[in-house]
Amino acid sequence: MSKPPRVWVSTDKPKPGEVVRVRAQMEHIMESGLRRDEAGQVRPRNIVSLFEARLGNTLLFSWEPNISVAQNPYIEFTFVARESGALNMVWKDEAGQVVKADRTMTVG
Amino acid sequence: MKRRTLLTAGAVLLLPGVSSAQQAPAALPAELAPDPTAFSKIMADFTRGATPEKEGLALDMSMLADNPSAVPVKVRVTLPITEQDWCEEIIVLAALNPSPLACRLRFTQAAGTAEAAVRVRLSQSQTVYALARMKSGKLLSAQQAVIVAASGCGM
Repeated sequence: MSKPPRVWVSTDKPKPGEVVRVRAQMEHIMESGLRRDEAGQVRPRNIVSLFEARLGNTLLFSWEPNISVAQNPYIEFTFVARESGALNMVWKDEAGQVVKADRTMTVG
Repeated sequence: MKRRTLLTAGAVLLLPGVSSAQQAPAALPAELAPDPTAFSKIMADFTRGATPEKEGLALDMSMLADNPSAVPVKVRVTLPITEQDWCEEIIVLAALNPSPLACRLRFTQAAGTAEAAVRVRLSQSQTVYALARMKSGKLLSAQQAVIVAASGCGM
């Protein structure tokens, strides 16, 4: 989780009603709890279990990955641009770490 | 050796190869065994006994997963998303993974769309399912059989 998430937004100045596409990826090992280390010990499970995207305080989209989601979780979603504001994204893992990213959206 | 004998011997030699290619190439470790009970329960909890419609939900993924540790999956509700009826939730299931529920995707009225793409890991060749629930209660489903090929090149 050292590097900040990579975020791509199709446009940060959408027209009203335009569909905005967001692609975001963060670095995370997504340890499933099914793998063993060299000594044969199970590596403790720790996955990103929640991603949320809000425009201002309004929830647009949320994602609950399980252990079948690939390492360095990638998420793509869309929303209809209706008002300007900050697109806030947050990732939470099972070890309690929280990573955030945001983009400013200007509808006009 | 007569020509006919040779042909028969050849057919016998070929057949086991064909059948074993259709089966799983190697036994999975116990940790990676499928969990059909969990799969059925997740499906039942989501549908609550109703039968989902086969149209209205698109599941875009390749039939051949060349990298099973990151298989792109895209889901999209093709029904109109309106102020009155939007998609509340889509779940993605990998039927033969040790933990069949890959993820839950929740959408809102504010989003005005229902489309998402993720990458999943697959333990073996299997069918990936997507189920969607609209605000109206309508259920949608889609599925795609995926062949997992562990490539010998570059691994």
